[in-house]
Amino acid sequence: MNTVVAGITYRALLGRRRIILLLLLPLALLGLAVLLRVFGGDDQRSAVLLMQNFAINTVLPLLGLIAGTGVIAPEIDDGTIIHLMSKPISRPVIARTKFLVAVSLLVVFAAVPTYVSAWLLVSNEDGIAPGFAVGVLVAGIAYAAVFLLLGVVTRHAVTIGIIYALVWEGVVGTFIPGARKFSIQQWGQSVADQISDSAFLRTDVALGFAVPALIIVTLGCVFWAGLRLRAFSLTGDE
Amino acid sequence: MSEIYDIGYRHYDGPRLGRGHSTRALAVHSLRGIFGLGRTARSKIMPFSLFVIMLLPAVVSIAMMALAQQRGLPYSGFAVIMQAVVAVFLASQAPTVVAPDLRYRVLPLYLSRPVSIAEYVGAKVAAMTVALFLLVAVPLVLIYVGELVVDMPGPPATGEFLGSLLMALVLALLLSSFGLALASFTPRRGLGVASVILVYLLASASVPVIYETLRSAGDESAAAWAWLANPFWLVDSVQSWLFGTPPHSIEGAYPNGPASAAILVVLLGIAVLALALRYRKAASR
Repeated sequence: MNTVVAGITYRALLGRRRIILLLLLPLALLGLAVLLRVFGGDDQRSAVLLMQNFAINTVLPLLGLIAGTGVIAPEIDDGTIIHLMSKPISRPVIARTKFLVAVSLLVVFAAVPTYVSAWLLVSNEDGIAPGFAVGVLVAGIAYAAVFLLLGVVTRHAVTIGIIYALVWEGVVGTFIPGARKFSIQQWGQSVADQISDSAFLRTDVALGFAVPALIIVTLGCVFWAGLRLRAFSLTGDE
Repeated sequence: MSEIYDIGYRHYDGPRLGRGHSTRALAVHSLRGIFGLGRTARSKIMPFSLFVIMLLPAVVSIAMMALAQQRGLPYSGFAVIMQAVVAVFLASQAPTVVAPDLRYRVLPLYLSRPVSIAEYVGAKVAAMTVALFLLVAVPLVLIYVGELVVDMPGPPATGEFLGSLLMALVLALLLSSFGLALASFTPRRGLGVASVILVYLLASASVPVIYETLRSAGDESAAAWAWLANPFWLVDSVQSWLFGTPPHSIEGAYPNGPASAAILVVLLGIAVLALALRYRKAASR
């Protein structure tokens, strides 16, 4: 952890208009929760639907993508990463710092709004709100690690990330049940299911698989991103 | 003595082609850039793989017509069904059209030639529109040719096919003007991709939730308006008003009448206005 690197990364992500990009999604989530509340959809079924279909399915992967790739990909893209890499800071420390920044952003912009919007609908009934907040948090940590690695490995990180989140987790996961085992969203839902005992929340992946998978993916991706940064070659612009 | 200073610069005395040609050249250059032609192999991967994904349903559809004498995808519903791929194509390629010029601040160089801002933006929007139109229209044409070759029982659905081609053009124009307006707000490619896909996903993922909420509150006619928040369903509703095709929303019908067409025109106007404001500012720096 290096505070200067963290400070630079925060400024790059939150400065000027870029914070709008991060604010838009949680605001939409809260807005939908308020809308449901106003139109009388504040029962457990619609709360779980909103959480599963909007919070975990759309908001979380997108925020993970923006935060995870945003901490490093723009710097690689415009070449300013060279100023950071030429300093006597260990490259794995740079990767870890940027990962922690992404995680902190996901806590603020994903986990907290998820808790608030679920609480707006069903307050603390059956542990739905804390369950989904923790589920979003652990899945968000894994997303941050995966997309950080993707940002280091390829220049098309955002596009590939979108295809993973939309096509693999969305479409393939719907049609091929086996693919759900390899989906970060499903692991997050398993954790949420463990904490909440609502009858409307049903998950496909066992907790005994989801927790080790989350830990392995997170640690593995952060470690690999550090390795990639150690032998990093700046290629020219396309 | 004097020839040592003559380093061989020659005057241009060929034909002067004028502004129309420079705008056209800019548009063609942008269109080639969208598909990665004349660039590295790595930048061709994404557009062409998305293009191939768009062709797959057309191939399946032709195979169904040939083997089972059964129509697969309806022409009018093709764009709605494949909307995720079209949106990813727009998001990944729109920033490549506008971001480099903004990042390297070369806009004043373009404008020092007889190309005005309106022509520059027009060329970029035209290039993106043509690219998106090709993305949707080529599979449609393929299915239609397949239908003619297979010789399905009954008359070919020529009217529906031509209508869907026209709506593909309208959809391409709407998507490209909005996509370029969003992408042009940041000179960074990754952020541009993220902001375009973010707006699309917000529009598409919130629609079923809003629809469900309004419908369960018993307000069926208000719920129908929710579909118009997504550009693909908006264009589909205009299509079903103009050509009488069945709606391709997930469930329920669209609000009837020319209101959706009016919304479409207003949205186009907003996107063009945003582009004009953005580029007026970018050109003055």
